[in-house]
Amino acid sequence: MKAPRLSAPVLLLTPAVIVLAAVVLVPLALSLYSSFTSFRLTRPASFFNVIWFDNYLSILTNWDFWVAFGRTVLLLTVALNLEMLLGLGLAMLVERATRGQRVLRTLMMFPMMFSPILVGFQFKFMFNDNVGVVNNALQSLGLTDAAIPWLIDGTLAFIAISIAEIWSSTSVFAILILAGLLAMPKEPIEAARVDGCTPWQTFRYVTWPFVMPFAYIAMTIRSLDVARAYDIVKIMTDGGPAGRTELLWTLVGRTAYGDARMGMANAMAYVSILLSIAFTYYFFRKLAAARTQIGAEW
Amino acid sequence: MDDNASARLTTRLLSIGHAVGLFLAMTVICLPGIWIILTSLRPPVEIMAKPPVWIPQEMNLDAYVAMFSGVGKGGIPVIEYFRNSLIISVTSTVIAIVIGMAGGYAFARFRFSGKSGWFLGLMLTRTVPGIALSLPLFFVYARLGIIDTHFGLILAYVALNIPFTIWLIDGFFRQVPKDLAEAAQIDGCTRWQAFWQVEFPLAGPGIASAAIFAFLTCWNEFALASQLTRSVNSKTLPVGLLDYTAEFTIDWRGMCALAVVMIIPALTLTFIVQKHLVGGLTSGAVKG
Repeated sequence: MKAPRLSAPVLLLTPAVIVLAAVVLVPLALSLYSSFTSFRLTRPASFFNVIWFDNYLSILTNWDFWVAFGRTVLLLTVALNLEMLLGLGLAMLVERATRGQRVLRTLMMFPMMFSPILVGFQFKFMFNDNVGVVNNALQSLGLTDAAIPWLIDGTLAFIAISIAEIWSSTSVFAILILAGLLAMPKEPIEAARVDGCTPWQTFRYVTWPFVMPFAYIAMTIRSLDVARAYDIVKIMTDGGPAGRTELLWTLVGRTAYGDARMGMANAMAYVSILLSIAFTYYFFRKLAAARTQIGAEW
Repeated sequence: MDDNASARLTTRLLSIGHAVGLFLAMTVICLPGIWIILTSLRPPVEIMAKPPVWIPQEMNLDAYVAMFSGVGKGGIPVIEYFRNSLIISVTSTVIAIVIGMAGGYAFARFRFSGKSGWFLGLMLTRTVPGIALSLPLFFVYARLGIIDTHFGLILAYVALNIPFTIWLIDGFFRQVPKDLAEAAQIDGCTRWQAFWQVEFPLAGPGIASAAIFAFLTCWNEFALASQLTRSVNSKTLPVGLLDYTAEFTIDWRGMCALAVVMIIPALTLTFIVQKHLVGGLTSGAVKG
């Protein structure tokens, strides 16, 4: 008897599936199991002490956790929306430039090559209350005498972190939206103008629907990697002071490695994974919808 | 004022506004980087000065000299970190590209059931936050004894890069017309030959940019590396950056110098890749 012949796509995809299963899926299954135990790093025997949903129940009633959760969602909402708006603005500015577009495009990519940890460190330096360039500038300009505690006050630290996050990721949106603008045929815009559309109407009903899929591609790429904010926050404030800038991810890290409560941390990590998946799934659906909507023209 | 003159004025104002807006945007984008380079060249006294010294009085390369002069002389083992980063990033990029090429080709050229489901599934493995993945990996690696080794990080980074590599390479193969490979096969090539002699060279630049993108991801990764490395055996540059922070003080100048060292390879590679990267992302996702 002959062995059943495997089809080409199955063979081609096998290595990828094996690696991802070994490095992502199996460890995640393990962490799902350990989220049902009272596992502590310091006491290996507790790995087999199954306590079922106790970890999840204590998360439900853990106020700190929900504050961190809310703050994470807030940060993502604020950052993603502003990145989208600023990216759109930047792309349109660059698209309209008549000279030096290549140079501008290259400059625009500048923040993309910064490692998130570098972004965090660089903004930590700039927002430093004592030697940071922001406070120095404000004081030299005579706008304030006091040293503004950018990274110490909870609200200000949130703003500083959002700025760092937005600085580092706006270019992803700008570049992809610019690609959309450049790929767009010019006739519809001219037709709209001839028909008497205002610039706003031209943008809203002609340009935007065309560029939208590109914006969703950028959104999807970003949502694949939203947890990058961990690096930034970790180095800028490390969740402090007193947990006032704690995000879901820094909380997971602290519970796992600081308090050695692995079981609890794994339960929290699962909530953060579900959050990421929800974001990605949402934008994938949007992308698919936008694609079918303009599918007729392409 | 007649209509003509006012229209001309509006156009003029708009173009000035455009130039100013563009200039401001570019300033905001470039300033942080320039500030880091500048700080790495200035003596600590000037960095800490109150009131601030805006015009640099004195520039030197002391920070770089100190950094490379090794442990104990105010330096950190930068050369080891650099070597680790390079070995880990290059190896995992090569492996991820080979695996990603197979996967991307499968998505671009074959029809099979549940195709979009598989694609989404692969992407979803990428969404797992690094810190969340580090918990079980830390545990498993500790058991296997591969914490603080190159192998452990390479394995993790290959998995990290496969989904995105597949997405990009899928896009690049879609840009190569199917007819070309079919024509080659009619002329007597096997499918294997048609792939290597026709499709691969055409998608080549795109695959190269996918490789650079994967390299940058490894080069910049922190959340996993910070938990899976312990010593100079395997610490990468992003983790090494933390060596400059003590409990209450930070050596700003040294950190800036290391930041410049980290950013230069990334900068060079991004400039090479920029044109193709966008093409791969958009064609794969829009014309699907």
